[in-house]
Amino acid sequence: MGRYLARQTLHLVVTLAGILTVTFFLVRMIPGDPAQYMLGDYATNDALAALREQLGLNHSLLVQYGLFIGHVLHGDLGTSVVTGRPALLEIVQSLPDSAILAVAGMTIAVLVGVPLGIVTAVRHGSFIDIAVMLVALAGISFPVFWLGLAGILVFAQHLKWLPALGSSSGGGFIEALRHLVLPAAVLGVSVAAYIARLTRSAMLEVIGHDYIRVARAMGVRESTIVWRLAFRNALVPVLSIIGVTFSYSLGSAILIEVVFSRPGIGTTILKAVSSRDYPLVQAGVLALAVIVVLVNTALDLLYAAVDPRLRTR
Amino acid sequence: MSSPAASLNPAHRNGNASWRRYARHPGFMTGLVILAAMVIIALGARWIAPYSPVAADMTNTLAAPSAAHWFGTDQYGRDVLSRLVWGTGISLQVAFSVMVISIVLGVALGSAAAFFDGWLARVLVAIIDILLAFPGFLLALALVAARGSSLSSVIWAIAIAFAPRVAAVMRAVVLTIRPRMFIEASTSIGMARWKILLVHVVPNSLPPVIVVATVGAANAVLGEAGLSYLGLGVQPPAPTWGNVIADGQGFLASHPMISLSAGACIALLVIAFNLLGDGLRDTLDPQMRRRADARTL
Amino acid sequence: MNSSLPAVFRIPRRHAPADAADASDSIRTGETRIDPEAVLEIDGIRTVFPGAVVVDDVSLSVRPGRTLAVVGESGSGKSMTFLSALGLVAPPGRVTHGRVLLDGVDIARLSGEALRRVRGASISMIFQDPMTALNPVFTIGEQMTTLLRAHERVSRSAARARAAGLLERVRIPEARARLDAYPHELSGGMRQRVLIAMAVALRPKVVIADEPTTALDVTVQAQILDLLADLQQETNMAMVLITHDLGLVARYAQDVAVMYAGRVVERGSLERVFGATRHPYTQALFRSIPDLEGEPGCALHAIEGNPPDVAALPAGCAFEPRCAMGRGRANCGSMRPPLVETDAAAHVSACFFWHSLATTGSA
Repeated sequence: MGRYLARQTLHLVVTLAGILTVTFFLVRMIPGDPAQYMLGDYATNDALAALREQLGLNHSLLVQYGLFIGHVLHGDLGTSVVTGRPALLEIVQSLPDSAILAVAGMTIAVLVGVPLGIVTAVRHGSFIDIAVMLVALAGISFPVFWLGLAGILVFAQHLKWLPALGSSSGGGFIEALRHLVLPAAVLGVSVAAYIARLTRSAMLEVIGHDYIRVARAMGVRESTIVWRLAFRNALVPVLSIIGVTFSYSLGSAILIEVVFSRPGIGTTILKAVSSRDYPLVQAGVLALAVIVVLVNTALDLLYAAVDPRLRTR
Repeated sequence: MSSPAASLNPAHRNGNASWRRYARHPGFMTGLVILAAMVIIALGARWIAPYSPVAADMTNTLAAPSAAHWFGTDQYGRDVLSRLVWGTGISLQVAFSVMVISIVLGVALGSAAAFFDGWLARVLVAIIDILLAFPGFLLALALVAARGSSLSSVIWAIAIAFAPRVAAVMRAVVLTIRPRMFIEASTSIGMARWKILLVHVVPNSLPPVIVVATVGAANAVLGEAGLSYLGLGVQPPAPTWGNVIADGQGFLASHPMISLSAGACIALLVIAFNLLGDGLRDTLDPQMRRRADARTL
Repeated sequence: MNSSLPAVFRIPRRHAPADAADASDSIRTGETRIDPEAVLEIDGIRTVFPGAVVVDDVSLSVRPGRTLAVVGESGSGKSMTFLSALGLVAPPGRVTHGRVLLDGVDIARLSGEALRRVRGASISMIFQDPMTALNPVFTIGEQMTTLLRAHERVSRSAARARAAGLLERVRIPEARARLDAYPHELSGGMRQRVLIAMAVALRPKVVIADEPTTALDVTVQAQILDLLADLQQETNMAMVLITHDLGLVARYAQDVAVMYAGRVVERGSLERVFGATRHPYTQALFRSIPDLEGEPGCALHAIEGNPPDVAALPAGCAFEPRCAMGRGRANCGSMRPPLVETDAAAHVSACFFWHSLATTGSA
């Protein structure tokens, strides 16, 4: 077990280092001059030069990279060109809104998607299997932002059950919750469609295994076979599915935030991109990638807890 | 391919009996038909679209659907149907280009990572893992921001963002093929490693890669739409479906047809790719499993 | 008794051979008569998959305390027959005809809860591959208690205690500790013992052992089969031994059924089928066994032709394309030979020309 943890940690460190590197070079590819943007169209060349010097833009890329890594290790992700505050701070402040949306969305997705996947696998070929899979197919094929717009149209405009935009109208907890329902539901349903399809495949594979047939031959109850014996084996692939769809859901969340005009990391990154705010874009992309890595690492550890065959390696 | 080792390779013995199997799969055929229809529409846009997609007519803005304009007009008086028809070509272009590029990149990266040993393979595996850590859409977004908002940059951005997924699939498949007897046989007669990779490994790994490619095409259409919606994709007045949705968003309550119809087009094409992918997966799966059992060959 | 068997089978027998007269009533030809003494009677089972009949009108029976060996190549339908009997055939396969009488009750008519209760408790099956037959994510103890609690109301601790006892009965050392082990921590032989323990846990009347030792080392094979034979003696249960290994049949079985292309081609007591073979396929099987006492350098006999394709069987006898005897004979290619009694009661053969073997054959 110790060796497993050690390997996981090493893998984590290497991946984080890699993410830092990729993000750095990625952001540096964005054209445009931050100094120009900050000082506006009427800045003098001297002022621009001075600012560039100050921002360290005159050094070679490699030197900038070295400085960057140094800063990161001290917890400094640069300063936002637009607001002048530490980029890390900006990102951290945008996190809670996104986190709530992502967590709510993924929870709905898992609670809806996994059971549907199991039931359709068990009832393979039946009417409910075909019906659910058709709906799931539609769910993964419509763009998530379109689903958001459709949701707004139906629930906010016509039925007037829920508010359309923003994260809260200044009201308290209930108001915030009301504003969360539609975006979280749209995100959740969209991701649930993926999860249901993938879970179904994983479950079908498990059900085809010999030990399931043996259990049936031994007269074990069908419900026990499905929900205990088979599901436990499908758990590792399902956890892996959750990890992959979580990463996908972050991308969708960005679009949902825009559709519903919600504050969060997505909107922050987009604003930073359009204003050429290098440090902020960098910090935002970094934050999301790091979150994905941490979630996946946690899942990796869960695998070992679930599948005894992984513990002895 | 006259060496006995080569004749053991299941991929080289596959006949054409499989075509009929695909034809029997309803999902696959539906997807194929939809895709074919879309291709025809795209190729014949010039003749099918009643109006020019960029012809503004400020006297007829936001018209309701009518005989003259089946889906009405947008806020610039442009015929929505024509824009949708012309948008088909763009979406298809993106889909196929992304498929090809991501397959080339992904197959190269993934097979190298799985086939060769030593530090090179470990570095390649690390690269794949690191790139996979970024949410795909986010990576594409950043790449498009970096390279500008043209059709080609959108294509390259989405392709590069998807390539790691192809690489991961390719790597997994190659790892299962490597221990097979016919590889050992080829190595023992002195066949060069890169040749083995090309001649034996790649043909056998194609089925899962082809399936992933359809996923890539579906992703590409959705990704392009998302980027257009955010204003980062192919710039207006280009009639991409994503742009049409974005255009219609401001008038959602009064003129839902604009955004809804564009979304339906996207969904239809994506459904087609998904059906193709599912159909391929269903048809290839028993074959793939049978190959796995034929290990002793 | 040994003198009637071919030389290669002159090996010590596991059980004293049963009285030949005893065997006479137990199996009838073609009639639907039920043998009152048989605990399991499979009557006319027919199982189809799209495009192929994999089990074609198969009838077998076995009495308490005796072992029926079902012999055949891979694909002969021997496993599928018993999977059909237990209702374990998955779609697209279907069982279309047949009765399965367990102590007189037709379990083929049962479904749902009733069938579930029969499985594992009255009739159980040991599968071929111990490596994949156990659930990898549960401990041995958990799997055994699941089985026990599926059929009886026992507390978890009581079930655990019984499980430990069962493991001891199948001669697994340190039984209590093994309860907390996972399948991947055990060797193939141990896993098979665990599966045997589970198969006999509820004292079933019939145990079907589907090639129980094929996936194991030869050294372990004898141990496993001796264990099964001992358990059989303790409980007087009937056993079906599905195998392609004729040596095992000679040592452990009293009755033999030979299957080919989904059909029974010969059936009778061990002495008769082995010592007075009445079907060309069976004879070809025996002839293909290398003779240890033969001259060095002599050729090995293989059965000519290719294994049958169940999806494309000839109209007449399934073995005709490869039969040394039937080639050119009128009926073999066009009419399916029914199972008929040969020169001994209860010894049946599906061959029009079985009597040729009586004159030229081994006995």
